[in-house]
Amino acid sequence: MPNASDGLRTSDRWLPLGGAGLLVVAILVFPSLAPNPYILSTGVIVLNWAVLATSWNFVGGFTGYLSLGHGALAGLGGYATGLLVAKADLPSFVALVVAALLVAALAIPIGFAALRVRGASFVIVSIALVLILLLVFQSWSSLTGGSRGLVVPRPFPGMLRPEHHRVFFFLFGGLLLLALLTWWLLDRSRFGMGLKAIREDEDKAESLGTPTFAYKLTVFVVSAAFTALAGGLYALWFGDLDPVFQFSVLTGSYIVLMALLGGVRNLFGPLLGALIVGIALEYFKVQFGNSPLHLVTTGLLLGLVVMVMPDGVIPSLVSVVRRLRGREQSSIRELSAADLAERRRRERAEARS
Amino acid sequence: MTLRTNKLRKAFGGVVALDGVDVEFRPGKVNALIGPNGSGKTTFFNCVTGMIKPDTGQILYGGKDLTGRAPHVVARAGVGRTFQLCRVFPRMTAVENVLAAVRPGGLLHGLRGAHRRTETERAHRWLTRLGIEHLADAEARTLSWGQQKLLELAGVLMAEPRTILLDEPAGGVNPALLDRIGALVRELNAEGRTFVIVEHNMDLVMSISDHIVVFDRGRPIAAGPPALIRADERVLGAYLGV
Repeated sequence: MPNASDGLRTSDRWLPLGGAGLLVVAILVFPSLAPNPYILSTGVIVLNWAVLATSWNFVGGFTGYLSLGHGALAGLGGYATGLLVAKADLPSFVALVVAALLVAALAIPIGFAALRVRGASFVIVSIALVLILLLVFQSWSSLTGGSRGLVVPRPFPGMLRPEHHRVFFFLFGGLLLLALLTWWLLDRSRFGMGLKAIREDEDKAESLGTPTFAYKLTVFVVSAAFTALAGGLYALWFGDLDPVFQFSVLTGSYIVLMALLGGVRNLFGPLLGALIVGIALEYFKVQFGNSPLHLVTTGLLLGLVVMVMPDGVIPSLVSVVRRLRGREQSSIRELSAADLAERRRRERAEARS
Repeated sequence: MTLRTNKLRKAFGGVVALDGVDVEFRPGKVNALIGPNGSGKTTFFNCVTGMIKPDTGQILYGGKDLTGRAPHVVARAGVGRTFQLCRVFPRMTAVENVLAAVRPGGLLHGLRGAHRRTETERAHRWLTRLGIEHLADAEARTLSWGQQKLLELAGVLMAEPRTILLDEPAGGVNPALLDRIGALVRELNAEGRTFVIVEHNMDLVMSISDHIVVFDRGRPIAAGPPALIRADERVLGAYLGV
């Protein structure tokens, strides 16, 4: 009898490994190739987007729940890290880990409430989370600094800017690899199979015995922890937090766009989306300053993706390649007894040879 | 394991779908649940399997109270079901559809890698038995309606339920497949599984059922073996208005 994994093509097995290898090389080489500190800082921003989009994909990709509230989880991670460093004098990277654990703990009640609803209702609840936290962090100025912002002490005070960017580029790269590895492990696990069943048909999954709510909540907490790590690392890198930017619906929208563009069912989909959208955003900011052109372009891109490539770039490319290699299944016709006998005879002959 | 309900009631606004249903399905038999459209058959299935909560009443399975329990709890208690409009996981392959019914025993077990060889082999055996093994690696959405019906049943069987509720298994399938489904139900029943079947195809119902319960206006009006039901005037009245 064949194994489930036997159905996978050899190329499918090696693609994640090849992709990860390529990514490691790119992360190691890019800082040396970056012509100036600005390009290097852009690399840090793009990697931050890639971690955020990959973290979002734990929920969006596996369960199909489209959260626009992940910007708020990143903001919470950033503020928690900043406050633990600035007010509790914790070492920067201890603060980062503690902050991620705190956000993961907070994600349990948030998820408990939000994941009870599906579809558009879940999207609205996730937006409400961003708006509520924006109000809280703006008005609680005695703790958060309010609209004046929060200055986060740097982890490497004596380090010059270019070196600072280089170190954080590697840190974000490491975090991205960890997020991708975790996603890949979940993808091939039984737990992941249950999550994907939820994405396909939640009621049916539950009728087969999958405790859907527990599954959704667990993966939401994992996603929140990675998102908080990305937000916290950003706070340590950038050194200044403002509630308007940390708790923005736009952040969540960009994350969703990146994941959809690359392909939510694919390990590297959100990373590819982050590379495209992240670089485009920086380009538009440099070319057109603070004009709303980048927002218009982003909106157009989202519309285009939904209409032309609803599955994203990677699945569309994979589909084209498979068609070109003639691997698409040509017929689903039921086999006759003669077909089956012929097939078994062929299999026996192959086994003998 | 006997499936029994006591005074089961469910209303949607002013419409009473189930009106105090007292019914018992025989363990180890092929039971059928028939009745005109809107008589409450599917609502009954949905209540029993936890998809909707009854307003009042009790659902007992082997003496265990399943009233208002979540669908996955009902499934783990040993009650599997198919849906009136066949439901598969469209973007998963046929074998993945079947493997999705494997229950991870706790989170650590669930985090283990791909399914064990024994589980995968069992999934392929079910596909073979239902005649769709050649489609194991095809995405479920590419299968025909009849093949999806068989795949849905394979998934349910993979979960190893003792009692299987089939909601209109003959709906939209060709006559050859209809015969195959009927024979399959009989085979699986002979292996010890209990069936409760909602079906409008009376030929199929009468040919495979041991025990038939008839619903009308949200309550049972008759119960017994096929020969008795066929001659029951209340049943004729409910179906034919005579």
